[in-house]
Amino acid sequence: MALLQISEPGQTTAPHQHKLAVGIDLGTTNSLVASLKSGLAETIADEDGHHLLPSVVQFLGKNDDSYQTDVGHQAQQNAANDSLNTIFSVKRYMGRGLEDIKKHSIYNFVTEKDSAVPRIRTIAGDVSAIEVSAEILKKLKQRAVDALGGDLTGAVITVPAYFDDAQRQATKDAAKLAGLNVLRLINEPTAAAVAYGLDSGSEGIHVIYDLGGGTFDISILKLTKGVFEVLATAGDSALGGDDLDHAITDWILAEAQINDPDAALLRTILDAARQAKETLSEQDSATLTIELANGNIWQNELSLSQFEKLIKPLIRKTLVPCRRTLRDANIEADDIQDVVMVGGSTRVPLVRQMVGEFFATEPLVNIDPDKVVAIGAARQADVLVGNKSDEDMLLLDVTPLSLGLETMGGLAEKVIHRNTTIPVARAQDFTTFKDGQTAMAIHVVQGERELISDCRSLARFELRGIPPMVAGAARIRVTFQIDADGLLSVSAKEETSGVESRIQVKPSYGLSDGEIESMLKDSFSYAQDDIDARKLREEQVEAERVVEALQAALLEDGEALLSAEEQAAIRQAIDELIEISKGSEQRAIKLKIESVDKITAEFAQRRMDASINKTLAGQKVNELNQ
Amino acid sequence: MTDSIKKNHPDNYFSLLGLPVSFAVDKKRLTNNYHDIQKSIHPDKYANATDRERRLSVQKAAQINDALQTLKNPLQRSIYLLSLYDIELGENNNSIDPAFLMEQMELRENLSQVNDKDDPLGELDTISDDVKSRINKIISGLENLFNGLLSADEQDDELLKKTSAQVLKMQFLNRLQEECLNKEEDLADQL
Repeated sequence: MALLQISEPGQTTAPHQHKLAVGIDLGTTNSLVASLKSGLAETIADEDGHHLLPSVVQFLGKNDDSYQTDVGHQAQQNAANDSLNTIFSVKRYMGRGLEDIKKHSIYNFVTEKDSAVPRIRTIAGDVSAIEVSAEILKKLKQRAVDALGGDLTGAVITVPAYFDDAQRQATKDAAKLAGLNVLRLINEPTAAAVAYGLDSGSEGIHVIYDLGGGTFDISILKLTKGVFEVLATAGDSALGGDDLDHAITDWILAEAQINDPDAALLRTILDAARQAKETLSEQDSATLTIELANGNIWQNELSLSQFEKLIKPLIRKTLVPCRRTLRDANIEADDIQDVVMVGGSTRVPLVRQMVGEFFATEPLVNIDPDKVVAIGAARQADVLVGNKSDEDMLLLDVTPLSLGLETMGGLAEKVIHRNTTIPVARAQDFTTFKDGQTAMAIHVVQGERELISDCRSLARFELRGIPPMVAGAARIRVTFQIDADGLLSVSAKEETSGVESRIQVKPSYGLSDGEIESMLKDSFSYAQDDIDARKLREEQVEAERVVEALQAALLEDGEALLSAEEQAAIRQAIDELIEISKGSEQRAIKLKIESVDKITAEFAQRRMDASINKTLAGQKVNELNQ
Repeated sequence: MTDSIKKNHPDNYFSLLGLPVSFAVDKKRLTNNYHDIQKSIHPDKYANATDRERRLSVQKAAQINDALQTLKNPLQRSIYLLSLYDIELGENNNSIDPAFLMEQMELRENLSQVNDKDDPLGELDTISDDVKSRINKIISGLENLFNGLLSADEQDDELLKKTSAQVLKMQFLNRLQEECLNKEEDLADQL
């Protein structure tokens, strides 16, 4: 018999509320936002009916500390007249250092003192890639809020599978700056697989070949009963449709004998190159017409065969990661059920042809390569906020790059290998090298190569407060954890004394917390009072979330896992938290949340264990029945 | 003595994934159990939970992932089984017989000369098949050895030594197999 649920007097029973959640594909060339509408995931259009938002931001000026911008089509149209203030393909600069991004860029990059993040000089001031991306995200957020008619509970944001830790962190920071609650970062090919796999319902091994505007990913997934398990992934986070445009641009510059184009001319040529590429997806030749600086008109034909000759080396470059994933996934080409093409650049016929030849199968091109990623993200967002749409669905993704540490002689020692399923935690023991040594420096890198200098530097930090001992006596255990967003965290403990060491992680190409804080202030241009009010409100929302989660947990497992006294203690703590969060003391609410967390620690642990036991017990019954 | 063996500990990887402690593993059951457990504890299922539960779920999911990786792979599984008897592999290489080491050196030399052959990929295939069959032979022997160890009432030190020696051999061969794969990748990239 079902037990009736009766709420405490004075508390509202939360009816099953449909929470608003969106999936966002933050692309190099275009971005999209999608959500679930009566069970169906759809991309959301703007008032003009456009689904794709060009990822272009034009900076117009600064007003009361907040940027004035045009984002999307308007910015794109103005680009040639205001090329240095109109930022294209900002995704290529996310989480990158200056030396990585100078190539093929028309912008004036500057670095500030005390910051590792390069900034673009614009009329509105120096802006980081994170701030530019945040402008795009704000625009999409507003579009979703208008269309759905309410505040968003959260968003799933997609990133290229091959993004490293710094690029992922930068994306998350951009979302934070745009005022979005990030439910999860998910990999673009995985999102595409969700949209495709749930619709086709076909179990088995799927390959997702995702060639976007600026990034390339290849993922091999196995789909079994709602579980999307990534077997291997590889890619190139600086290879995409942009590079095809650049190949054509270089050809035009050579043919037209232009040696030193200024930013405006380069923008014009890049646009012409992109249009030619699109024309050549359907026709055998494209006419290029360019107005030169001296007013002369340069015109020429680009034939399909010439175009293919220009881009073939780039497409061949994508096949190297393809071969590697097959090897890492430990499968043969025969095991593959289908190859799904994702990303705008897979419209290029040569791409389809070469991929088809490589996998010896006709690639699937019947899904919309632009929208599928956002749609998959929307479905995952709906599951994560608890709307129970695809309740049985689970994504098991992997880390694309090996995580290593610098050892003697500038070599990288791998701690977590590429294609390990996340979340993952690995501990590594260190010891001291000198008598009485109280600190040590640790350098974390990502990449496959043996030399540190060939890998990407993620973070440098110092372990301090090691108790002085003779050399080699200390036993410092450093735990590296990659969470479900693919983001790294590090903790350390000296084992013999039990001293927890303080860790200062300095992200090599990331923003510090202080920088983010000040950007947040700038972007909202709040007075101190407003900031305090906002902090209080955030803390109250957090308290509500804790109360809701705990009440649900008590209802589910309270009787089974807790004694009467334990239940009473937790209920009392909840009541106190409700009472305190009605007040206006942000700090007090925060402290109470922390104390509730401590009181319920044991309960959380028991619930987790019980959940596993229940799963395994259920299986034993199934086996007996068979 | 038996009681102190960690195989009876409820937190061992086999119990975690609902399998009996043994070298032979029912792959289908392993995958099924793994999926079902992840469906109940994965961080995605705790997106709305308290911070404490979210943290716990990340840790637990990571542990289950680790357990799966260990049990899926015969070498990792063997090393893990030995660790339940407090045996750490690779500390003492004296136990390996000289004839085996000679063979290893020969195989390695063949591998290093592959590039000079007329058909390097074909030659590599031959070596790689040879290594694979040697590994498979060890694997089939290990099943009996571990069965003997795990079913014994008292810890059988002699048998434990014999088993460790075989696992150590497998580790050598696995490394060789990895080098074969790396070589294959190098050769394929040159094509």
